[in-house]
Formats: sequence, structure tokens, C-alpha cells
Amino acid sequence: MMLATYLTLMLLFPLLGGLTCAVAGRKLPRVLVESLACAAVFGSFVCALLTALSYTAPTVVTLADWFAAFDLVIPISLYLDPLSLSLSVMIGFVCGLIHLYSVFYMREDEDYARYFALLNLFVFAMLTLVLAESLPLLYLGWEGVGFCSYLLIGFWYRDTNNADAGRKAFITTRIGDTAFMIALAWLFQLFGTLSVTKLNGMGFLMPVSVLTLLGILFLIAAMGKSAQVPLMVWLPDAMAGPTPVSAMIHAATMVTAGVYLLARMYPLIAASQAALAAIAVTGAVTAFYGATCALAQRDLKRVLAYSTISQIGYMMLGVGAEAVTAATFHLLVHAFFKALLFLGAGCVIAAMHHEQDIFKMGGLRRTLPLTFWNFLAGAACLAGLPLTGGFFSKDGILMAVWHKGGALYQSLYFLGLLTALITAFYSFRLVFLVFGGGNGHVHRTSGLGVMQAVLIPLAILGLFGGVLNLPGYMGEGLLTRLFAAIPGGGAVEATHEQEIVMQAVAGALALAGLAAAWLRYGKGRAHRMQEAQSPPSPLISFLANGWYFDALYNVLFVRPYRALAGILWERMDEGIIDDSLDGLGEGIGSVGRRLGRWSTGRVAVYLISFAAGGALILGYLAWLVL
Amino acid sequence: MSVPLSHILIVASLMFAMGLGCVVAWRANVIMMLIGIEIMLNAVMLTFVGGSAHWGIADGQLFSLMLMALTSAEVSLALAMVVYLHRRKQTVNTDRFDSMKG
Repeated sequence: MMLATYLTLMLLFPLLGGLTCAVAGRKLPRVLVESLACAAVFGSFVCALLTALSYTAPTVVTLADWFAAFDLVIPISLYLDPLSLSLSVMIGFVCGLIHLYSVFYMREDEDYARYFALLNLFVFAMLTLVLAESLPLLYLGWEGVGFCSYLLIGFWYRDTNNADAGRKAFITTRIGDTAFMIALAWLFQLFGTLSVTKLNGMGFLMPVSVLTLLGILFLIAAMGKSAQVPLMVWLPDAMAGPTPVSAMIHAATMVTAGVYLLARMYPLIAASQAALAAIAVTGAVTAFYGATCALAQRDLKRVLAYSTISQIGYMMLGVGAEAVTAATFHLLVHAFFKALLFLGAGCVIAAMHHEQDIFKMGGLRRTLPLTFWNFLAGAACLAGLPLTGGFFSKDGILMAVWHKGGALYQSLYFLGLLTALITAFYSFRLVFLVFGGGNGHVHRTSGLGVMQAVLIPLAILGLFGGVLNLPGYMGEGLLTRLFAAIPGGGAVEATHEQEIVMQAVAGALALAGLAAAWLRYGKGRAHRMQEAQSPPSPLISFLANGWYFDALYNVLFVRPYRALAGILWERMDEGIIDDSLDGLGEGIGSVGRRLGRWSTGRVAVYLISFAAGGALILGYLAWLVL
Repeated sequence: MSVPLSHILIVASLMFAMGLGCVVAWRANVIMMLIGIEIMLNAVMLTFVGGSAHWGIADGQLFSLMLMALTSAEVSLALAMVVYLHRRKQTVNTDRFDSMKG
């Protein structure tokens, strides 16, 4: 019973906080709005912790009925299992810190009420998504986070570019949402229920081909939300929003919703090897794509955006390799270190007068030491340097891929290793360019102290996140034990020697990437800085523009759509509909004008017509009688 | 000795036709048109009275009394309008008043 109270409060705090900020935020003093928003999220986090303390076994908590019509019954029910529990604790923690950070980052902004209302509503929607037991409720959260994300990307909507980026994100993710909606309707038609727990136990009733198609539909939904190839074009542009928003929505929480959905529906999908292979291939290709693009970016936030795409690719690869635990582990650790990196980037950007070009930075190692050390910790996690959280989580995924076996998965393993090397390289390219060198002069804003302090807990969690799930030879992992109960959560059977060899390979690759980055951007820094002045080579601009996917979609979809819209507008709307209506009006007008000539205005003519009419009627009557 | 209804009707229709002819033909003068209308109304009254006498019912006579009252009112209004029209254009020719032309 306590569980239901905790869960309800966990959802209600951010909802009420968001609504209060939205309705009354403009009338309330700024400090009150800020503390209300932060308190709501931290309250939610405390509830999540209390839930975790009183958690014993997976439970379904039904709070109320949403609606019921004929066979379709949708309760507001929440499902608490290790997956949703660990995610909601992480969301409460990371979002709480980011709220605190936002108070100082957005100090100059007048629109604080709108900002915090949206941020709180986002937390509510994200928790709904994670905790939902019935798929329509999950979908509600899914759309809720998408909506908040749209509004927050275009938060500074007076600049057309920002508003366009918001629209792009919304429309692109909508493609995935459509697939999700189709999957929901189909699931209901097949099974007559939309409860996650029931569906996951009923997969065996359907032929594998149906499950494959369902898996692909869920995969498309995840592609949209989690920015996977081919629907990844929106995430780099989403960086138009305020930096804390990028940290919270477009790195730590919302974009991992796709991975979460696949992990949630894993027992249903897992029966189809084809669907799993599709998920794994999508993940590996995306990981590689994101890493290569991140190599050539000049904008600090875009590097991080592409690295997010790449890391989520790893998580998808993990789900595709039947390693839900490893994928969730990476999801959690990634949330910590990516939020850390983004918030660190926010400190850098705030200190550099909103300059985001990494080739114009440098020397911040001495002037912003606290940010530097924290950012370094984040970069080490991202690169997967040995013994950081990112190292263990990424390695867990790669090991699972290797152990899945088969030519496909083994080639994906090597693609993953290559990506890990590139990841280490670009992470430290970023560190060397931003913090290395000598010309560091910064602008100290008032909130910078607190903003930097927020980084510390995230850095600790990122660096030591490995203890959440230590590999087998160092003792049993916490997550592995927790997840052992849920399908797909079992540990990968590997001997300790194999594990150590694989981790050694991955660690060596990460260190090699670090060394290469040092040679190129640490030692050869002056040379690279000079190079950045000249126009980039074709390969660099190919990578910098994200393999020209935007241009490709422009040719494939946007231009034909515009042409079609042009035809419909000029030929159909203006040509056929408007012109025919104009013609009709013109015709009636001319008939009226012709009839108007009858009214001469002369009384005599009217009288004669009247008399003639009377005579005609009389004549007719006479003809009838006689 | 009584006049047969048919005779009365013939006289009345002749009067009506003459009145109508007056109205239609004499449009150069509004007053003449009004006189034509009076003649037409008198033809109608004659018909009423003839009918009343023929069937021995007083309704027709009553109606012709009503018509007389009505006609006097109409004529007083019409003459006032004639004066007004004359003041506007110094003429009583109806063809000159064609501002209602469509």
C-alpha cells in the first residue's frame, strides 16, 4: 500500500509543480518558482528512493481506471520492476541536479516560468513513460516527453533557426510515433489487451513472422525517439535549446526512451531472431555513424549530440544482442556521464560568452579547473578508459555481442570496437581543444560556482558507476542480480579469462584513441588551429555535415513534398477550386446585371408590364373557362 | 326595374379598361395617372355594388364605402407627393423620375 502512495507522489510532484509554474508562474516571485520546480523534482527523487527501499518483487500497481469502452480497458497502472525502478531513480537524480543547474544557467532569462513549467512537465511525462504498465499510458508519456522536448528545443523561439529545429525534431520523431501507434492497434487486435506484463507473457501465441513485424514497428518507434539511423537527423539540431535542456532531454533521459521501450517489450520481441538482428544492426550502424560524425564537428554541443547518438547505438546493440542488463547498465552510466559532459559544456559556454566553436577555445584547464577535472572525468567515461563506469558498461555490451556468436554479430562486434576507438579519439580531441593550449580568458558569471559544484556528484557516479555492475571476475554485479529475474536479464556466460582478454582489448583501444588524440590535438594543437582557418577537406565536410543525410532527405522527401504542395496549391487550390468558385460568382453576377437592365426606373414601363401580366393571367383564365 | 348584372359588369370592365388606358398612356402627367386610378377604383366599386344588388347581400356595399374612405386617404397622400415631386424637378412627367434605374 505504501508503494502506491510513493508511486503516486512520485508522479504528482512534478505534475503539480509544472502546472503551478505554468498557471501562476508569472505572478509568483522568481525565487519561489525556481525553488518550487527544484523541490518538485527532488521530492519525486526521494519518493523514488523510498520506493526502491520498500521494493521486494515486480509488482503492478493500479491507481485508477483511465477509460473503458467495449473490450478496450485501459487502467492507469504502473509496473515496478528492476528496469523501471532503476530508471526512475536515475531520472529523479539527474533531472533534480539539472533543475538546480538550470536555476543558475537561466538566471538572465526572463521566461523562467515557462522554462521550469516545461522542465517539470517533462519529468512527469518521462516518469509516466518509464513506470507505465499499460501501453497507452506509456504512449502518453512518450508523446508528453516529445511535446516538452519540442517546446524546449524552440525555447528561444524568436530565432527562426531554433523554432525550425524544434519542428524538425517533432516531425522526425512523429514518424517513429506513427509506427508505435500502428503497433499498439495491432497488438490490441491480436491479443485483446494492452498491458505490458500480459503481452510479454503471450508472445508464444503468435507466429514468429508477426512478432518480427511487431519488433520492427517498435524498432522504428525507437529509431525516432532515440535518434537512430535513419531517423537521427533531428538530434544534432536539437542542440538549439538551452544547454541544461540538451543535458536532460537530449542526452540523459528522453532519447533513451527508445532503448527503454525495446527493453520493456523485450520478452515479446525476443522470440524473433530477425527483429533482434535488425535492432543490433541499427544500433551498431548508428554507433559508428555518430562516432564518425563527432570526429569532425566544430560546435561543442554538436560533438556531444553525435556522441549521444553513437552511445545510444551501443545500447540498441546491447538489446539486439539479448543483453538487456548490459544495455540498461550503459543507459544509466551514460545518463550520468553525458549529463556531466553537457553541463560541463554549459559551464564552458557560459564562461565563453556563448561561444560554441571549439577551435576558438583553449586554455580553460587553468582558468576553469573544476570544470576541467569534471569534464575530463566525463570524457574518460565516454572514451571508455579502463576502470571508469563507461568502460565496464560498454564492455558488457561488446561482450554480449561477441558471445551471441554468428558471423553477423561478430562483425558487429568489430564495428563496435572500431567505434570505441573513434569514440576515445573524439572525446579527447574535445578535451585537448577546449582545455589545452594557453590562451584562456573567461568571463565569470555569478552562478558559475554552483553550476560547477553540480558536476561533482555526476562525475563521481560516472567514474565509479562501474560498481553498479562489476564483471564476473570481480564479484557479482548489482544490476545483474537485480535483473536476473526479468527475461533477458541473465548474465552472459563467459569465462573470466575471456572477460579479462576482451576488457584488455577494449581498454587498449581506448588508450590508443587517447594517445592518437594527444598526438594530433595535444602536441599538434597549433597546427590544427591553423588548419581550422582554411576550408575543410571533402572528407571532413562529409563527416561534419552528418554524411549529408540532411541534404539527402532534402532531395528525397522535402523537395518532392514541396513540389507536390506547390502543385496542390497553385493548380488544385488556386487553379481548380478558387477559379471555379470565382467563375461561379462571375456567372451569377453577369446574370444579375443582365436582369438588372429590366428595372428601368420608369413607372410607365412597370405599369405596362403589370397590365400585360394581368392581361396574360386573365387570358389564361378565360382560356381555361371557355 | 332592375339592371341585369351582366350589363353592370360590362360597364364596369369598360370603365376599368379606360382607366387603365389613361394610366398607361398619360404618363406625362402624374395627376392624369391618378385620375385614371380613381376611375379604375370606381369600376371596382360599381362591380361590388352590382354584385351586392344582384345577390341581395350588403357586404358589397359596405366594401365600396370602405373603398371610398381608402381612396380619399390615398388621393390626399398622392397629391401631397405630387406637390413634393413637382418641387424637386419642376415637372410632373413620370419619365423624368427614373432614379430607381437598375
